[in-house]
Amino acid sequence: MFSMKSMTEPPTRQESRTQFNEDWAATVIGLVLLVLVIVGVIPPGLIP
Amino acid sequence: MTETQSPAPARSAGLHIVLGVVVVLALGAATRFLEKNVPVWFEGDVAKAIEYPVYAIVLGLIGNAILTATGWRERLEGGFRTEFFIKTGLVLLGASINLKVIVTAAGPAIIQGILLITSVFLFTWWLAGRLGLDDKLRALLSAAVSICGVSAAIAAAGAVQARKEQLAYTASLVIAFALPSIFLVPWLASVFGLTDEVAGAWIGGNIDTTAAVTAAGALVGEDALAVASIVKVTQNALIGIVVIALTAWFAFRVERTPGAKAPGIGEFWTRFPKFVLGFVAASVIATWYLGTVPAAEGKEVIAVANDLRVWFLILAFVSIGLEFKVSSLREAGWRPVVVFGSAAVLNLVLALGLALLLFSGFTV
Repeated sequence: MFSMKSMTEPPTRQESRTQFNEDWAATVIGLVLLVLVIVGVIPPGLIP
Repeated sequence: MTETQSPAPARSAGLHIVLGVVVVLALGAATRFLEKNVPVWFEGDVAKAIEYPVYAIVLGLIGNAILTATGWRERLEGGFRTEFFIKTGLVLLGASINLKVIVTAAGPAIIQGILLITSVFLFTWWLAGRLGLDDKLRALLSAAVSICGVSAAIAAAGAVQARKEQLAYTASLVIAFALPSIFLVPWLASVFGLTDEVAGAWIGGNIDTTAAVTAAGALVGEDALAVASIVKVTQNALIGIVVIALTAWFAFRVERTPGAKAPGIGEFWTRFPKFVLGFVAASVIATWYLGTVPAAEGKEVIAVANDLRVWFLILAFVSIGLEFKVSSLREAGWRPVVVFGSAAVLNLVLALGLALLLFSGFTV
């Protein structure tokens, strides 16, 4: 009736590594932006 | 990139990723422009109620159609970093969560969140199992419908190592169900004659995406928006716990082959979505910061972090529109739609019952 094959294949090593890096990248960039906001480098009104 | 690739194609691929990001940023800027100006151009509640996810997804889908027709979509898709944008947005969301405020001012929100997430998650997991869905898709659908939509699905996808197609499919379902809820739930709340606080708790407990909760809460009123936000934020904070449970379940039960050594703490760590740590850290930093400055100053500064969060979520929604493939919906068939629809109805009824029970005497 329909195939679920491609949805059950395990992720490739390349994808796992990309996801791993994206997690840390998101954490570092998110926290750096927050700190920049708190110390006033990104002041109110700068973000459009 | 692999080491065997020649420099020319690698350079070309890099250029395509940069071009893809430029497309996402341009559509994100257009989204922000529409979000600010449409309510000015058109008077009325509907124009005001249309929030950035709607513009972002529609513009993303239009961009998707144009790029597909011109043969550019597949070349640029390396720049459509939905997961990175949402994860960064979630880390920044941590800055608007003061755990102390939630615990002291919104005890009922925590009880509602725990009861609702547990029952809806287990029901969805059970129904998806009965209909024979793949375990990873079960986890994604259950997390998405019971916690907070796309972001919970992304957190769950990291925990169970789901495929990108499964995530894209779940995100499509979340959006397909969340958009009508923005208008349906406030309308039902008015038909049932609910107080603003109960309506807010219902909206926050039932609607999946944080953006849609904000839009629906604002339609009902300021008090409803406040309660809806507290309930939603509580659910967001519970993502980490659900993710840890899913990580353990998949590492120790679902994917453990007979005779294989039990996965150790290292496996658990590999599967744990690290951005959850950023989310918690941002909450700790913001809570500490708000305790050291006057309230008005703190509010103004955290509002800047919220603006940045909205930008990242806009880029994520644009990317979802750009990445959307009808083939992934067609391939999965009708069963996940039945699972998601049934769980959404259960969520709607349970959230209403719990909101009435826990928030009837509550005032903001």
